[in-house]
Amino acid sequence: MAQEKVTSASSTLRFQRSIIPRFVRRIAEFIVGGIFIYAGVIKALDPIRFASDIDNYKILPWTISVQLAFYLPWLEIFCGLALIARRLYLGGLSILTVLTFIFIIATLVAKIRGLDITCGCFGHASKNWSFTAHIALDLSVLAALIALCICERLRGNSS
Amino acid sequence: MKSSLVRQALILVALAFLPGIGQAIYFRDKVSWQSPIPASEMVTVAQARAWGANAIWVDARPDVEFEREHVPGAVPLNEDRWNELLPQFLAAWSPEKSIVVYCSSQSCNASREVARRLRDEAQLKNVFVLKGGWEEWLKKK
Repeated sequence: MAQEKVTSASSTLRFQRSIIPRFVRRIAEFIVGGIFIYAGVIKALDPIRFASDIDNYKILPWTISVQLAFYLPWLEIFCGLALIARRLYLGGLSILTVLTFIFIIATLVAKIRGLDITCGCFGHASKNWSFTAHIALDLSVLAALIALCICERLRGNSS
Repeated sequence: MKSSLVRQALILVALAFLPGIGQAIYFRDKVSWQSPIPASEMVTVAQARAWGANAIWVDARPDVEFEREHVPGAVPLNEDRWNELLPQFLAAWSPEKSIVVYCSSQSCNASREVARRLRDEAQLKNVFVLKGGWEEWLKKK
């Protein structure tokens, strides 16, 4: 009887460790991946406006801003798809984490420099968002990406 | 793990180039590659002032800033209330007038966007962006 209870408890624990985190992780991957796909599509539809948004940060020359405006949305879309499809997963996760980190730093620097910026994260839809709303969303996405990186690392170590 | 991460990242970076290059080719004639606004579409405060009554000034800043102070005779036209303000602007506009759009400073892009929409959506010609924006106008006041 006691043996059965121990077996049952240990299988429940295994279930919680394996199934629930995986389930939660999948939801996180869908949400974060979906956010990047949406953001990428919105910007890919209007690359000239996105170039203007990048230029507004006054970090890069215009020529580079335009080239990035044609390239970055597609990188976001492919990395978002990688997260959802779990193909090229590690690559997608790393790129999105680095991109989000760079973006947060650039936004903070622009704010400190007193630049009148629109984030451009979601094209025209996010034009009227406050700075706090932008940063809160960016930090949440970064936290989710870091959590996914940690999960993947733990999974890699255990397997 | 590290090598597969780098390999996967490189594949994604390369994949994104394909549609990016395709889109750049498609837009090659629609975007200015050398500067955000071609020199021919920019105007200085002195030049715009010299046009006198032949210029119509367009304030692309938010309503609050327009109400606080604006270039005398300027018409408000910002993206927040584009549909509402465009007819008012068109009522004040006439084809022989040059349009001078300004926003708060050199770093803002509202004037650039409003000028672009006036050209693309309203099909207007002689649309110029004021170099340095409102800040520059104040200096030269």
